[in-house]
Amino acid sequence: MRRQVPLVLCFLFGITMTIQYYVPSRFSEDLKSEVLNWGLIIGPFALVLAIATLVRLHYTRIQRRSENWPYSIVVFVGLIVMAVVGTVQGFTSQGISGGPFEWIFNNIQVPMDATMFALLAFFIASAAYRAFRARTLEATLLLVAALLVMFGNAPIGDLIWQKISPVRPNLPSEVRQWILDNPNLSSRRAIIMGISLGAISQSLRIILGIERSYLGGGE
Amino acid sequence: MIQRFRDVGLPIGLALCWIILFSASTAWGQPAPPTHVEAVDTPNDTGNSITVRWQISPDDKAGAGVDGKMNVVGYHILRSDDPAGPFQLLQEVAGGITEFRDDDGMAGSPAYYYRVRAVDGAGETADSETVGPVKATSEWFHTGKVYILIAVLLYSAILVYCIYHARRGREFFVRRIAGLEAVDEAIGRATEMGRPILYTLGLGGISNIATIASLNILGEVAKRTAEYETPLRVPCYDPIVMNVVREVVRSSYSDAGRPDAYSEDNVFFITDSQFAYAAAVDGIMIREKPAAIFYQGHFYAESLILAETGNSVGAIQIAGTDSDAQLPFFITACDYTLIGEELFAASAYLSREPLIMGSLKGQDYGKALVLAALLVGTVLEIFGVHWVSTFFQAAS
Repeated sequence: MRRQVPLVLCFLFGITMTIQYYVPSRFSEDLKSEVLNWGLIIGPFALVLAIATLVRLHYTRIQRRSENWPYSIVVFVGLIVMAVVGTVQGFTSQGISGGPFEWIFNNIQVPMDATMFALLAFFIASAAYRAFRARTLEATLLLVAALLVMFGNAPIGDLIWQKISPVRPNLPSEVRQWILDNPNLSSRRAIIMGISLGAISQSLRIILGIERSYLGGGE
Repeated sequence: MIQRFRDVGLPIGLALCWIILFSASTAWGQPAPPTHVEAVDTPNDTGNSITVRWQISPDDKAGAGVDGKMNVVGYHILRSDDPAGPFQLLQEVAGGITEFRDDDGMAGSPAYYYRVRAVDGAGETADSETVGPVKATSEWFHTGKVYILIAVLLYSAILVYCIYHARRGREFFVRRIAGLEAVDEAIGRATEMGRPILYTLGLGGISNIATIASLNILGEVAKRTAEYETPLRVPCYDPIVMNVVREVVRSSYSDAGRPDAYSEDNVFFITDSQFAYAAAVDGIMIREKPAAIFYQGHFYAESLILAETGNSVGAIQIAGTDSDAQLPFFITACDYTLIGEELFAASAYLSREPLIMGSLKGQDYGKALVLAALLVGTVLEIFGVHWVSTFFQAAS
């Protein structure tokens, strides 16, 4: 029974929402927004459970003095400060827009997010170094294509080319665009087609109750 | 001399002034109205709009080449529920525009009549003929999606056919997928080294198809970690996903006969902030040095931040995502990457359940069908036959 009810619900909602995609009527649109609202209602309940796991995890880390445990105190400070400031400010006429709540967000979280994002530049450099080592034919092709694209992307690429040859002054940009529009785009489309077929296949398996691993596997 | 001017020049001057004024009044009179006005119920909508179309006035400035005065600068759309009027102004649109969608208060509305009024630079107007009545109604089938329906039905029929044959005991050959063959190797390595396995489902919510695929893979991975008694750590980005993950992992441990080995503390929520999540997972990697890391699900820019950190701690990394923009990063930084549909084939491949394997075969037949359509379509296009490309354009 614990397994059958979710399977029946999955089948009914799966079929209903598939049909809904092809029916543009008002009733159909209302049904869709209603079902999406149910999903939104589940969210806050799940969030309470999620925060409880976070609190328990970091409490345990502090209690056991695990490696780098002082960072868990930072988690609690952040959690409590934002919750208190947001709640208190939420009761004012101003709401949570502006004031200390937004100030903390803009001046602490946003810069830290930006810092993490900035690390990506260095990670791209280290990943590119590994990928572009010309040890095999494929890696060599990748290296050549990457160099051509980089040369075409940088404004200095066309400038250098113009000094070398007056014929077709924008050749590096044209080559770059050709690589992006032809080999690159066609292979991306092939991947997207595969993903679409896989997604339909998986949806059908779930709707028909053949794929049950998401319920925990087994019978 | 003065007398002669009065006798001849004055009448000529007055005549010239009259000619100029007459010409000006002809040029600045009413513009020509728009033509071929029609109002139709907008197809394939929820019954909330009527579309009004017209051909521009011969005097429209946008009508280059039309033999008119070129002084119409815009149109007024007028609406009434009575053909005799009065007509109310609905909207003003610029010259050159030939279509307007009226979605103003259509729910339960009566049938409407429309006029389109041409307006010139001097404010002179000319109304078209009245068209209507038209009532906004909703349809029960979206005719624009008929090709998608045909394609989905065809593909579904192939899948059901393969599943049916799998149910009857037919065995299908499925090509080897290196990334999935390596799952046991990765778990075995972690067991030998006495280190945990880290599994991340990316940033997708529970409604994301890649997240569901990832949950299916996680179920199989959790069974094996339960058998080997290897710790499995699953940091989550989405609260709902976290709760589902707990159920999946708990059930897998029960199915493996090791419910006692399951610990709720190993499946935990971190944050729903993208880079804070990346920082936290990187921290776990640095501190705990997992022997194997699985990245399965939907990822964004954090993919390389995670995969490079995992690479730096020497873990075996197996990635799989439907985010085509992140695939190059995973291919570069991970040992194995499930590309595209391999992510959706993974649970079938790992579980080896005949029915699921049948659908996997159907997936391959579907790909073959698309490939054949591409080849046939390319050849037909070369010879000027366009129906295959028309089908795919309409279905996209």
